[in-house]
Amino acid sequence: MSTALSSAAVPVRRRFKIGAESRGVKLLLPALLLLGGFFLIPVLTLLLRSVMEPAPGLQNYVELLGSQTYVRVFFNTFMVAGVVTLITLLIGFPTAWLLAVLPKRWSQLMFAVLLLSMWTNLLARTYAWMVLLQQTGLINRVLMAIGVIDEPLALVNNLVGVTIGMTYIMLPFLVMPLHATLRAIDPSTLRAAAICGASRWQALRLVLLPLALPGIASGALMVFVMSLGYYVTPALLGGTNYMMLAELIAQLVQSLLNWGLAGAAAFVLLVVTLGLYAVQLRYLGGGRTGFGGR
Amino acid sequence: MTATKAFGTRVALAASLGILAATPVLAESLVFTSWGGTTQQAQQKHWAKPFSAASGVNVAMDGPTDYGKFKAMVESGNVNWDVVDVEGDFAYKAAKDGLLEPLDLSQLKGVDPRFVSPNSVGSFYYSFVLGYNKPALKGAAPASWAALFDLKRYPGKRTLYKWSAPGVLEIALLADGVPANKLYPLDIDRAFKKLDSIKSQIVWWSGGAQSQQLLASGEASIGMFWNGRVNALQQSGAPVGMSWNQNLTAADMLVIPKGSKNKAAAMKFLAYATSPEAQAKFAGETGYAPINLQAKSKMTPAAVKSLPDQHGASQINLDMRYWAEHREEIAKRWYAWQTQ
Repeated sequence: MSTALSSAAVPVRRRFKIGAESRGVKLLLPALLLLGGFFLIPVLTLLLRSVMEPAPGLQNYVELLGSQTYVRVFFNTFMVAGVVTLITLLIGFPTAWLLAVLPKRWSQLMFAVLLLSMWTNLLARTYAWMVLLQQTGLINRVLMAIGVIDEPLALVNNLVGVTIGMTYIMLPFLVMPLHATLRAIDPSTLRAAAICGASRWQALRLVLLPLALPGIASGALMVFVMSLGYYVTPALLGGTNYMMLAELIAQLVQSLLNWGLAGAAAFVLLVVTLGLYAVQLRYLGGGRTGFGGR
Repeated sequence: MTATKAFGTRVALAASLGILAATPVLAESLVFTSWGGTTQQAQQKHWAKPFSAASGVNVAMDGPTDYGKFKAMVESGNVNWDVVDVEGDFAYKAAKDGLLEPLDLSQLKGVDPRFVSPNSVGSFYYSFVLGYNKPALKGAAPASWAALFDLKRYPGKRTLYKWSAPGVLEIALLADGVPANKLYPLDIDRAFKKLDSIKSQIVWWSGGAQSQQLLASGEASIGMFWNGRVNALQQSGAPVGMSWNQNLTAADMLVIPKGSKNKAAAMKFLAYATSPEAQAKFAGETGYAPINLQAKSKMTPAAVKSLPDQHGASQINLDMRYWAEHREEIAKRWYAWQTQ
């Protein structure tokens, strides 16, 4: 009976799948047109400007990669994005796990809190952090009042401020994909690990983490890539010694009108980001987001 | 005054634009773009509204001013802005790059000649002043830019304008003893050397609201500010002081982007906005100085007292033409120094 069913089901499913795929492509058309018109063409224009302005040639790239300032800004950008991704992961993984295992009522409440922060204006949230973190701010005052510190800590206008502010903003972008992955993991696999004599640490390391890897990878990549292009939060909470690329590009575009150099900077960032994405696809399978799996 | 100044008002302005676009089109209309916030509100109240009432030309508000957008509009030929409030050095650079319409100067009456050029006319002018938080300095009253660099007598963080723009380098040089009439061309090496001495204590502000927050909270004990911002803090009762000594003035300019579809109406608007009445009312509300020489006679004595031009003797004009010429090379040095 079961063999008859499955042998009948295979061709049906295959036929259905082909139909779904071609239909899927048609459904993608609006998105493709939108991206083509409003993303691809501007990016190509930008690329063109970077080799045409102020004169044809590669001088913008030479200037960009030959200048200590710009190289430092590139380095800062990747360093800050990396630190933010790491810390978001350290906080986000336990959060996502908790969300997956808590009773529904509690997990819904936690989700609401998480999402609520996303619905508040970004600028307002960043200013709120500024008020909390500054030397005369709430956190320093409380710590000094209870005698933990004597001098106010430098929590803002430096790397610490950027990291705190951005981790907070990025957290939902990691927790949501990770939560979906963790929920899909069958709890009995952990039970099976325990039955086989695995300690809690071994179960985490050998069972849970490998199974959660696609979610971790796609969440971390999203956070990292979004962090690379972040503007408002680093601009307001960071000092200038950790200036990030988006800020520099904004200055080049808006204030100095040096679009050639801005285009080159944006293009280099784009290429590096796409490169990272390719690496992730190659080695981690890019999460379970692809059409029809891997 | 960069784009960040008016970041928060963008959405509100876009919304109001939408409403304006939906109302029936009057005989003529134009779009006025400025920096948002209280400054643009005052421009709308004292320039746009009475101008519309008198001329029948509908004035829609947009903002904040964004030079990238400005250039993109002119280059594409699809110019949606008709009158734009820009910084002085940009006005000169844009004129040089062919981004501006020539103005009909015969329509302008009584404008201070310092603030007129073939392509731009003053909007208002402001000063960078020394501001300080009184409790943070425990009663000490700094009176010159040198105080910014005196960490012993005036301890605490100092806050300066973040971007590569007229102001900070001049302040460093003045504090280092360069006489006001010898400021230009700027000795950039010397300025950065002076700034090095306080670098670890600098907190940068990138917009007016942020500068007020830093000063009022005492996060920074001392710094450079747009006079209108310290003025507003004082009026709200914050314990802040201000020194006008060596105040550095610069004007915002009004320009018409090349290819504006409402040139004639835009020129009429410029004539109205720079008239003595419109200038007097705007200055009375904002604390920024009028660029029309006859405006002050139309203001109350109290309002006149808070204007930058009351401190003419101690005033130094920022050289916008010098900056327009050297914007790029200074910017390179600036960001190299900042990120070190």
